[in-house]
Amino acid sequence: MAQLLLTPENHIQRLNAILNKVDQLQNLGLPSLTTPPNSKSWNILEVLVHLNIAYGHYQQKFNQHIPKLPDNKSENEGFRIRRWQKLVVDSQRPKEGVRKWKMKTLKKFEPLLDHNQLNHEKAEEIFKTFFELHNHLKEAVLLCRKKEVSQLKIPSAIGPIVLFYLPEAFEFLICHLERHMVQIDEILQQQDSLVSP
Amino acid sequence: MDDEASRILKGFFPNIDFTKEEERYFKSLWSIKTFDQYDLITEAGKIERCFYIVLDGVQAIYLLNERGEKVVLGFSYSGSPSGAFDSFIQQTPSKTFLEALKPSKLLAISRSDYDSIFKKHPRFYTWGHHFFQDILFGRLSREVELLTLTAEQRYVAFMQRCPDELKVIPQKYLASYLNMKPETFSRLRASVSY
Repeated sequence: MAQLLLTPENHIQRLNAILNKVDQLQNLGLPSLTTPPNSKSWNILEVLVHLNIAYGHYQQKFNQHIPKLPDNKSENEGFRIRRWQKLVVDSQRPKEGVRKWKMKTLKKFEPLLDHNQLNHEKAEEIFKTFFELHNHLKEAVLLCRKKEVSQLKIPSAIGPIVLFYLPEAFEFLICHLERHMVQIDEILQQQDSLVSP
Repeated sequence: MDDEASRILKGFFPNIDFTKEEERYFKSLWSIKTFDQYDLITEAGKIERCFYIVLDGVQAIYLLNERGEKVVLGFSYSGSPSGAFDSFIQQTPSKTFLEALKPSKLLAISRSDYDSIFKKHPRFYTWGHHFFQDILFGRLSREVELLTLTAEQRYVAFMQRCPDELKVIPQKYLASYLNMKPETFSRLRASVSY
């Protein structure tokens, strides 16, 4: 199995693409943001809340550990992802715009939104939190460009069964974000198909 | 702005005569930005906010290929312009990164102030015509070199014209710019004189 090289520049480029995409979502009307494709699926705001919950776990860990890492003595040359971690990351990575494996969300990551309370203010709050958290992720990637990242492993959000070096954690989070961007595209496509004859 | 920055700025706009008042206003539009080694000045996916003139340091402009490797499109250095011009002009997300390969000091002007100097002083259109013409000719010349010269010829042509400050940046950036492997660049450096 080929080893994937993780670089901070690649992470930053993909994160910027996601941030731009979510920025564009703010132009959608409330019905688009709050209408799920069917009764069992999430709407767009719920997808964003899920992403916010998922990042919350890592935000704490990054704040706790990154400042303590020693500075990198030379230029960041990238990080080779390990096999088990690659398997976990690949379970999230969409392939050619398709989510490969659909999976049940763990209870602690479910977005518990009251659909009757979804108004403009709530939508604004969700977007604001999304940008705060995911700009924090970008700052973490930028900080780690100049840090020695091979000295620290952190447990993933599902526990110590998966331990990540920081670049592996960034790759996991970005693949997870990309996976849910695909889900948002699917929601929007289904809304379009309901409107178009 | 100190005398050296002022000299470089004036040298960049050689055929524009200002009154004292105009010059004061013109200089006030530029701010000095400093970057540490390996700082990203511009990120791919973000809109380029500034047009830069380099006071000090070396910067590389590059994009990432499918394997995530840096493909170097060019360098900027003391006295040269810098920035992701396409993104700056079109105000669309940049496809390229601009990175400080050495600690860098740049003069920066925002898009709105850049536009305002053209409106206030139509003679900047002549400067702009020459500037973008030079950029185009430079890119055409590079394209011809990449398509027609051997690796050794590209190495010699580049080393003959590049300023000394560029010769000390990591070899992998120079190799990528010349579209050759770092090993090839290293071999040429050891065996070819120019």
